[in-house]
Amino acid sequence: MAKHEVKQVERVEPGLWEKSYIPEIARGLKVTIGHFLNNLRPNKEKHTTFTREYPDVPTDYYPDRFRGLHRLMLRDDGQVRCVACMCCSTICPANCIHIEAAEHDDPAIEKYPAVFVIDELRCIVCGLCVEACPCDAIRMDSGVHAHPFTDRGEAFLNRDLLMEMGGLSMAKQGGER
Amino acid sequence: MPDIIVTLLNLGVVQILLIVFVFVMGLASMMTLLGDRKQSAKIQNRVGPNRARLPFINHPLLGIPHFLADGIKMVLKENIVPDGANKTLHLIAPGLVFLPALVAWAAVPFMDTYCAGEMLIDTATWTETCQGEEHRWFQIMNFNSGLLYGFAIASISVYGAAIAGWASNSNFSLLGGLRSSAQMVSYEVSLGLSLAGVLMIYGTLDMNEMVRQQGYLIGDWLPMWGIVVQPVAFFLFFLAGMAETKRAPFDLPEGESEIVAGYITEYSSMKFAVMQLGEYVATVFIAALIAILFLGGWQVPWLFADGFHFGSTVIELPYWLVIILRIGAMCGKVVLLVWLQFMMRWTLPRFRYDQVMTLGWKILLPLSLANLVVTAFIMALF
Amino acid sequence: MPKVTINGTEIEVDKGKSILRAAAEAGYDVPHFCYHPALSAPANCRMCLVEIEGVPKLQPGCYSQINDGMVVHTESERVVKARKAVLEFILLNHPVDCPICDQAGECKLQDYYIDYDAQESRVRTEKQNKVKAYPIGPEVVYDGERCILCTRCIRFCQEVTQTDELTIVERGDRAEIRAFPGRELDNNYSMCTVDICPVGALTARDFRFKCRVWLLTSTDSVCTGCSNGCNIHLDHFRNEVQRYRPRYNPEVNDYWMCDEGRLSYKSVHTDRQTEPKVNGATVNWHALAQAVADKLGKVEDPSQIALVISPQATCEDIFLAKRFGEETLGGVQFYLGGKLSGDSDEFLIKADKNPNTRGIEAVFGGTDSLKSFDDLLADMESGAISVLYMSGTDTPCDAETRERFVGLLDGLKLFLHQSPHAGEFADKAHIILPSCTHAEKDGTFINFDGVAQPIYQAFAGYGRSIPDWQIFLRLARAMKKPFDYTFLTQIQEEMFAASQAPEPEPEPEPEAGDDESSAPPPAE
Ligand code: SF4
Ligand code: SF4
Ligand code: SF4
Ligand code: SF4
Ligand code: FES
Repeated sequence: MAKHEVKQVERVEPGLWEKSYIPEIARGLKVTIGHFLNNLRPNKEKHTTFTREYPDVPTDYYPDRFRGLHRLMLRDDGQVRCVACMCCSTICPANCIHIEAAEHDDPAIEKYPAVFVIDELRCIVCGLCVEACPCDAIRMDSGVHAHPFTDRGEAFLNRDLLMEMGGLSMAKQGGER
Repeated sequence: MPDIIVTLLNLGVVQILLIVFVFVMGLASMMTLLGDRKQSAKIQNRVGPNRARLPFINHPLLGIPHFLADGIKMVLKENIVPDGANKTLHLIAPGLVFLPALVAWAAVPFMDTYCAGEMLIDTATWTETCQGEEHRWFQIMNFNSGLLYGFAIASISVYGAAIAGWASNSNFSLLGGLRSSAQMVSYEVSLGLSLAGVLMIYGTLDMNEMVRQQGYLIGDWLPMWGIVVQPVAFFLFFLAGMAETKRAPFDLPEGESEIVAGYITEYSSMKFAVMQLGEYVATVFIAALIAILFLGGWQVPWLFADGFHFGSTVIELPYWLVIILRIGAMCGKVVLLVWLQFMMRWTLPRFRYDQVMTLGWKILLPLSLANLVVTAFIMALF
Repeated sequence: MPKVTINGTEIEVDKGKSILRAAAEAGYDVPHFCYHPALSAPANCRMCLVEIEGVPKLQPGCYSQINDGMVVHTESERVVKARKAVLEFILLNHPVDCPICDQAGECKLQDYYIDYDAQESRVRTEKQNKVKAYPIGPEVVYDGERCILCTRCIRFCQEVTQTDELTIVERGDRAEIRAFPGRELDNNYSMCTVDICPVGALTARDFRFKCRVWLLTSTDSVCTGCSNGCNIHLDHFRNEVQRYRPRYNPEVNDYWMCDEGRLSYKSVHTDRQTEPKVNGATVNWHALAQAVADKLGKVEDPSQIALVISPQATCEDIFLAKRFGEETLGGVQFYLGGKLSGDSDEFLIKADKNPNTRGIEAVFGGTDSLKSFDDLLADMESGAISVLYMSGTDTPCDAETRERFVGLLDGLKLFLHQSPHAGEFADKAHIILPSCTHAEKDGTFINFDGVAQPIYQAFAGYGRSIPDWQIFLRLARAMKKPFDYTFLTQIQEEMFAASQAPEPEPEPEPEAGDDESSAPPPAE
């Protein structure tokens, strides 16, 4: 077992100065008023505001693993990669993926999603569906935010919409002869 | 001036309109927007409300459309009275919170009496005397016991909170009502006692008279404001006043995690808005009291009826400009104090309820008593 | 009785038992593919190899019989190593396309792989490819790549149905299951091969790709296809029956059920009527009961009322129907409804297509007090019957007679239709009382043999349908002659006391070592 270093922290007993509160409150006020005045300055560049006014002002930096809207990846011939195994909809904690599987004309593919709908409003953007997918068929790397919807129905992204954002995968494709 | 306006001024109608509806209500409702939202946003490095737009104007306009939308929302929302609530009392309670807060403004002077004749300035005692008719045009009513009146009326709103809590037939409301009435009653004691010293110095209960006295210049340069002669009382009063109006860090009657919105929990629609507004008006009222008692009310330092007096140099100013400057000073002080209260709110963490009570009874009360005794000693000595 | 020691546990077992069975009795599971308790043991998969002390080579447990004093190890290092080797061998050409395999989740190959193999494939050459979705029969699809050639399906067709459709063609890694030339897997029990196939090689056309098995919830029930009353697992997901699976019951159906019965679940979801209606207007149950009480109360002569009892209903429903007719209304005419008889065979399928004819006999003490459906037609024509209370949509008559019957309905003063299904009667009925199917209620069926078998509710009733017995309770209450019941168990107690019908048999425990029968799929 690794040796643990124990660091004893001295408990700070407030002196009379702190206990009278007034100077400490003044110190606190100095900080908040400082922020307040700074953010009132006409020069917006100098503001320390963190809020990004998306989508008016898109942000300039996304982390590598940013999870945006889902997309469905494609096979080499442009068909959907998904084989409707329902791993994603099973793992989805928000229960927001609805898949109806069907038999594909091509016996090499066999099973494909006739219906594939994600309710982006219910999605909690956890990314578990991506991890669960055995075929690299679903991804969340579209870089697109879930934008505001005015109608619940708009938030149901169906298969074709999801495929429009899709692309080719480098992973080996199953069902080849 | 047209006679009709003069008559209305003498009757106090214009004052009521301007003070109550324009200044107080305007300030109180702007506070809900700018104080609560925009100011907090600036402090916390956020943007604050900026999405709502007026028709045809594609600009956030400081978020003011939000405030309008909120108003519309409040009016249009369904008015819900919970099952088992006492309907009458449930209806009366918001009024009991709101009305006293407004009525108390009657005693607040925004300027000295208007002097129709000549003003005499005595630079030895730094007093102004009016040679002619005096009109009380900048105060709704004049009492010689204005301060008592203000306190008496303002404390009625305790009933509003208590009744609202009880009449809602909800445990959260009841607890909130109990908390707020206990808190208000406790702090009223310190609130009153901390003023005793001030009253001893001014020797009057008339607010306008108090403000006049604060025009005196100690050693011909330092304005004898309440904060100068009674600094401890100022802090005590400021604290007790914030606790009295239940502003953070003393907003114990509300608490999302414990008792939801306290005695307002079961209110919706306009009743809710009136409750909230009543609290803001009370906040503004406390700010006005502080301004009058400690910050010289309408007094502008070194400004007298005929202009600024710096030592023996005098910068002459017309009487109307002095009036405007003085009204502006009063309003400015109130706004500044309200701003400061909000600043405190976004600076300090909330107290625990027992801490609030400890602070009220074990610290503020003895301190104000001590302040009283010390003041009395000093007064007796000199 | 011979004594054996299995993994240190000493146990006495019957003579002639296989080691696999004996181990199961001692509490040890021996993995196996080709062995099935109802079939012969060819010992061709080698998954069940066990170590017998004194015998140099590992022996197949499914085939080797116990001897007195035998000392067997089923979990020894050698055995586990052998299992791993066998699995690797079986998986040589296996496609491992579990994501699209319907068996995934209840696949023994998957389970054993996790338990014993759990390594990546070491094969660096291309896998052998075969036809993926070969239609081996009308109801069954065969996937040669997934097949592990255990021959369970072949033996089923030889030994159980004795129709001999299947065989193995080709050899080595090209071997596949095929029907003999000119034949296909089309016997009446063909979908049982899907159940017994330990992997996803045989899949049911009906269930294919419909639902992942791990999403299913299983409820014990009884098939309503015929009077045999095969025990089933009713697998459902999101308030929908997804499939039936036979449930082991040696007294009734063993491990099997027929294809027709297996597909009879579809009726649960077709042609349902879900809203109580009076003269076409949707009302709530309370208002409906009032209306019925009002109308039936006005009928002066109760003998004008015909109450058609359906043998599709449970005993409890029939019992209450009887009490409703005899006590609440008083002296109504009972008629026997239900389905027309059909084909039968020597195995499971019975000619009587009603699951509960014996239930009616038990409740009414024989069918003598019930008039036949033909009598009903005659009575309706003669005008002796003016009010018809019909339960169920089925009529025991041919299409022509049924047409005549539907025509006669127009002449009725009052026609009450109580059924889960609408049929042709929905627009003729003055009052519609939607009831539940067997999937939505608890109850008892008595099969042709007199075995009383419970069914259990799988999900809530469609729309506002409620079980028949609750409908009768409501009607009786509305007619101010309430029955003294609240729960189904109260009815059952009284019913069994009244008719001296046998208590429901306790569920027979599946025989040891059997795996196919009872374990419900892993529910979430
Ligand atoms: S990200 Fe999470 S919540 Fe959203 S669809 Fe995927 S699994 Fe479901
Ligand atoms: S997206 Fe992936 S995990 Fe989801 S059903 Fe398709 S293949 Fe399976
Ligand atoms: S048979 Fe079993 S191991 Fe093979 S693909 Fe199907 S689920 Fe996977
Ligand atoms: S199809 Fe299934 S049951 Fe038949 S031999 Fe292959 S694996 Fe065994
Ligand atoms: S060899 Fe025994 S189960 Fe297959």
